[in-house]
Amino acid sequence: MKTITMDVLKDAANRLLFTMSDEQYKTLYEEFGVLTKQMEKIGEIKGLEAYAPMTFPFDCSTTYLREDVAEEPLKREDALKNAGNKQDEQIKLPKVVL
Amino acid sequence: MNYIDLSLKELHEALVAKKVTPLMLTEEALKRAHENKDNAFEYLDDEGAMAFAKTLTEPEKDNPLWGIPYFAKDNFSTKGIPTTASSNILNGYVPVFDATVVAKLKAVKAVMIGKTTLDELAMGGTGTTGHLGKTYNPYDPKHERMIGGSSCGSAAAVSASVAPFALGSDTGDSVRKPACYAGLVGMKPTWGRISRYGLFPFAPSLDHVGYFTRDVYASAVLLDVLAGRDNRDATSSAKPIDRYEEDLNKPVKGMKIAVLKMVTDSVKDEEIKKHFYASVEALKKQGVEVDYVEFGKDLLESLYATYIVISCAEATSNDANLDGIKFGPYKGGKTYQEVMFNARTAGFSELIKRRFVIGSYCLMRENQEELFLRAQRNRAKIVERVNEILKDHDFILALSAPSIAPLFTQASDKLSDEYLIADNHLCLGNFAGLPSISLPLGYEKGMPYGVNFMGRAFEEKKLFQMSSAYEAITGLAETSALDPKEAKL
Repeated sequence: MKTITMDVLKDAANRLLFTMSDEQYKTLYEEFGVLTKQMEKIGEIKGLEAYAPMTFPFDCSTTYLREDVAEEPLKREDALKNAGNKQDEQIKLPKVVL
Repeated sequence: MNYIDLSLKELHEALVAKKVTPLMLTEEALKRAHENKDNAFEYLDDEGAMAFAKTLTEPEKDNPLWGIPYFAKDNFSTKGIPTTASSNILNGYVPVFDATVVAKLKAVKAVMIGKTTLDELAMGGTGTTGHLGKTYNPYDPKHERMIGGSSCGSAAAVSASVAPFALGSDTGDSVRKPACYAGLVGMKPTWGRISRYGLFPFAPSLDHVGYFTRDVYASAVLLDVLAGRDNRDATSSAKPIDRYEEDLNKPVKGMKIAVLKMVTDSVKDEEIKKHFYASVEALKKQGVEVDYVEFGKDLLESLYATYIVISCAEATSNDANLDGIKFGPYKGGKTYQEVMFNARTAGFSELIKRRFVIGSYCLMRENQEELFLRAQRNRAKIVERVNEILKDHDFILALSAPSIAPLFTQASDKLSDEYLIADNHLCLGNFAGLPSISLPLGYEKGMPYGVNFMGRAFEEKKLFQMSSAYEAITGLAETSALDPKEAKL
């Protein structure tokens, strides 16, 4: 398992596309101290290899064929409501390709 | 005393008899919400609620939610109404569609008054981490005690009698724990029983729609409306729904309950334990068979870590779309990575960032087997144990929390059994996806505390039947911070 260091935490935050202050990293590092001890409780459980990882409480299958019903699509004015920048009834994006 | 303080049943009767109108109730709910000092609201829809209430002129006798005011937690999509999940990264976001539960309530003509505060993105249990700050417990006018979270605002709104019910969401205990601290009935049905379409995801393998009411009858009647298959949520169940209030107040003789011994043993508050045992004895007198069962200390002590690993890992992935491009305010940047980096750095609070880093750490290639997959395997083992107990018992019963609502300044030992077990066992219901309901039990220092019943999957009707029997024992139906009742036990 990867040892927890400030650099590992900074790398994780960087991969998640945000940063934190030095003080916040310190708090997080300390939190990991407690968390690691809590996680050790899972490590103490015997025989877990016999269990498949559980991803959902139940098996649920969805098999149906939708009726082909015509629906009103999202109206242009609704679609543009949340756009920060608009031009000519379109969403205007900042240039991000240099 | 105002009509809005009545129970849902009485309120419906008053509406049908035209003693009160939806407009009058809406006005009162809005007035109370504006005057409320608990920091419970993200948005109050004065105009929309009043306009809708004005259209409701002919009472519908067979529709118990007709004209009833309610609130929705601010992580449900509401068309045309700002929805932030109490996070700065969603400031200004106005959804273009209604969550299925909101649409269903609109269809039965319940009146949404506004949106309530939550722990940011529903990731927290204290009601202190939303972008508007702490939400307070209406039972504590000094504002020293929390109401719990993450559905803090919804709990406060119902507890302060601003409306008779409110929607919440529950990933670990986010409806049932605040319900306990606020003297309310907090219900989380079976995973898949209520559509989650339009609920902002936190950890989809654990997320449930839940809700707060002031009595069991209202809780049952609400499920009649909210339950059911929704093709827009592939995880919603096609199992037929029930009339969930049909068996309320019927005898519970012969039903079997398993009391989780280790949960009660790890509670330090003797007064709370005494009342809990008294309520169990009262159930026995009604012919309920009670066993004190061992769950396995090691498994119970591992609940919290299992929850944190799974939920943080799922959240890390789910909230990747909050990036300043698809969602979230634009904060500038020369490249798309910079745009995302700036938006996410400014948009998320420290707590959320810490949780994401925890999730990311658990998902790192080197750690995945030992942390994430191991937690998922442990979840399977925990659920196996829960279902084993429920083979021989109809319900699992335990105190919802080890104490009354904690002080904001109170620190807890995060490695103690009281914290790891008694304070965090409600996630059993999320791991197993089972219906689970918190009910008031009593008061200490004027603050409520409560118990939790968990039943078998899709057996909500039976769960409500047992809950109504328990409610009769405690005598704590229809209570609010405005009108706390004397506990019978």
